[in-house]
Amino acid sequence: MAKASEVKEKMTIDRRNMLKALVGGCATASLTGCLVREQEPGAKGWVPQQYDAPSSWPPQVRGRVPIDPENPSIARDDRKCVLCGQCIEVCKKIQTVYGSYALPVKDDFICIHCGQCTLWCPTGAIVEADDRTRVLQALKDPTKVVIVQTAPSTRVGLGEEFGMPGGSWVEGQQVAALRRLGFSRVFDTNFAADLTIMEEGSELIERLTGKSEAPLPQLTSCCPGWVKFVEYYYPEWMPNLSTAKSPQQMLGAVLKTYYAKKTGIDPRTIFSVSVMPCTAKKFESVRPEFNAAGRYWKNDALRDIDAVLTVRELALMMKEAGLDFSSLPEESYDSLLGEGSGAALIFGSTGGVMEAAVRTAYHAVTGQKAPTLAFNLAPVRGLSGVKEASMDVPGYGKVRVAVAHGLHNARTLLDRVKAGTARYDFIEVMSCPGGCIGGGGMPRSSVPPADDVRRSRIRSLQIKDAAGTLRESHENQEVKELYRSFLGRPLSHLSHQLLHTDYVSRAKHLKVDPQALEEILAGQVTEASRS
Amino acid sequence: MNGSNAVLVDLTQCVGCGSCTVACKLWNGKHYDKGAPATGLHPVADHSNWTTLTQRKAEKDGAPAWRFVKAQCMHCEEPACVSSCMSKAMRKTEQGPVVYRPDLCAGCRYCMMACPFEVPKYEWGKVIPSVSKCQMCSTRLAHGRSPACTDACPTGALRFGRRQELLGIAHDKLKTGRYVNKVYGEREAGGTSWLYISDIPFGQLGFKANVTSESLPAIAEHYMRKTPALLLGGAALFMGLSKLIQRKKAVAAAKEGKREQ
Repeated sequence: MAKASEVKEKMTIDRRNMLKALVGGCATASLTGCLVREQEPGAKGWVPQQYDAPSSWPPQVRGRVPIDPENPSIARDDRKCVLCGQCIEVCKKIQTVYGSYALPVKDDFICIHCGQCTLWCPTGAIVEADDRTRVLQALKDPTKVVIVQTAPSTRVGLGEEFGMPGGSWVEGQQVAALRRLGFSRVFDTNFAADLTIMEEGSELIERLTGKSEAPLPQLTSCCPGWVKFVEYYYPEWMPNLSTAKSPQQMLGAVLKTYYAKKTGIDPRTIFSVSVMPCTAKKFESVRPEFNAAGRYWKNDALRDIDAVLTVRELALMMKEAGLDFSSLPEESYDSLLGEGSGAALIFGSTGGVMEAAVRTAYHAVTGQKAPTLAFNLAPVRGLSGVKEASMDVPGYGKVRVAVAHGLHNARTLLDRVKAGTARYDFIEVMSCPGGCIGGGGMPRSSVPPADDVRRSRIRSLQIKDAAGTLRESHENQEVKELYRSFLGRPLSHLSHQLLHTDYVSRAKHLKVDPQALEEILAGQVTEASRS
Repeated sequence: MNGSNAVLVDLTQCVGCGSCTVACKLWNGKHYDKGAPATGLHPVADHSNWTTLTQRKAEKDGAPAWRFVKAQCMHCEEPACVSSCMSKAMRKTEQGPVVYRPDLCAGCRYCMMACPFEVPKYEWGKVIPSVSKCQMCSTRLAHGRSPACTDACPTGALRFGRRQELLGIAHDKLKTGRYVNKVYGEREAGGTSWLYISDIPFGQLGFKANVTSESLPAIAEHYMRKTPALLLGGAALFMGLSKLIQRKKAVAAAKEGKREQ
């Protein structure tokens, strides 16, 4: 018995004691601070390499463009932004918007809504402002007749979203897809492009022949980014802008007036959607003056266009709906507002509006078909920044035209005209490099956008134009019918009411910084505002 | 500490791109919360948003003028949070930043009470919360880099450098007459490492106008240095009083004893 008690008092390494020692030791170490490592909060992330240098070497590429949270065209998700600086690169050097104005700012986030930044953004942080939700809601609403129009370039872009090569022609599949998504009529913006040529071409002839007071050169007005750019930077050129609306707005206006009347649909039930290669079209559609149908029917609530989808948004809707693109049949547009000429088709590429206008204007002045040159107006085709051409028009003389795409090029061209070193009668400007086929709403088939993709899309449009039989806007039968039964003639009173618009100077929202602008245009991009 | 690092914010140069807020989150690994944006008209300063950028629709000469105000820890020269901290979790480093160490923090949140700019925030949602605030990228500074936000600023609205140098630049800019005649942060709370200049009065842009120009620890010290004297004086006074009362009692008791005898 005595032996047993001796054993009890002896220290043994059993599990219980081991555990006691461990817990006791750890608790002591922790309480005395031995286990705590000195730590710094934050600093757990990363920044792009250019920011990881000593402060005596300021990074060359930095920051990002400001975007208004209320911007109707583009939106940014901060979670995806890596401050790579690509948006600034394109906005400043190619569009000459960012950095061209003096600081401090006034009362605007200067933006022309072109959406090039959405194409350059490598992480997809900047995308179009979402309009899918509203369109899907309208499609579900049984009281709404949802009618859609598709811009010329959409049919050479949509396929790329489904793995097809650049510029694949998918006009018929696009129409079929839209029907399957529930749109009750599918119309073609090409119809309205022909209508635009009729109005804009007639306006040009009036200016050329002196019938109109409006000055020369006439500037195209179908690109909403370019229009806002003129309103910001060149308000003195506003009288030169054609008063003709863009094809999107023309179709919206005739849809809720002419088409509604003809088919007996209550215009209040129509929900008008457009599929565009463009983010600026979203901005254009919410410009307050674009409610021609509302004024026609004396109902302010009526908007000409209710929602604008980019090609990317349409593709997303199709993917979400589970449409198998490759198995879609080729369908054709609905009638009355569905016919389009080859001239309208090439609106999608830089120089296209010019070529289309020349074909019809020549016919209007001479009464004859334009010469072969006007059906392959090579000098205004291709991707050179500023292009020019001239053509002898019997009965008038030499008509000189110029084309620019990308707003850096547009500035170069306008400044040349301003300085008097060049004289033109008609100037076409598209905000996006390559024209609408390079628009901010097109698929991001290469990041940043590449010329080979742009060329393949342009080629596709030009091949279809060349292969078609209807290649002049004034030959479009549905447009003729619209004039015969509704509008009367181009530039008629009703045409003016529905198809023409005016512009508003936005110069008060910014102060141009001439020195910074000069540096941008000279290509010497320095920190303009660094003082 | 005039040789320490600082940042000069020129509010006239900000275009409101918010790069600073993104750089802060990228570098510090901070989360995004949809309900608590770091930019816009009503950003929320919290434990994940160490810096915010507020859009202010102000007026200048009768015309609307938008300004964007970046806010973060001001990194005071003599920080109240440091002097209020009982566990030395807050300290002002020689390089300029006021740095917080969660491992030393007792969680009392005196710093939050002490800060004249209401900067330190608390991680209320966490089981073991810490105080949270801008560190002025002290680990970047230690490697000769500048804070992430100033690096990312595309317009030069944020300028990093030595405080004394930046004050010189700021006052040179004020001489052009295009600014209101004040460098916010030069004297506020005894001087801060973040300095602001503006062409619109600071009060209209949401800056705190009534921040004392004295160093807050100095004010506290002014009173605190009297505590020993007060304490000892009080003790002596009460001891004296006590002695007096005791003596009175003793005298009274003695008198009583005499009468009974």
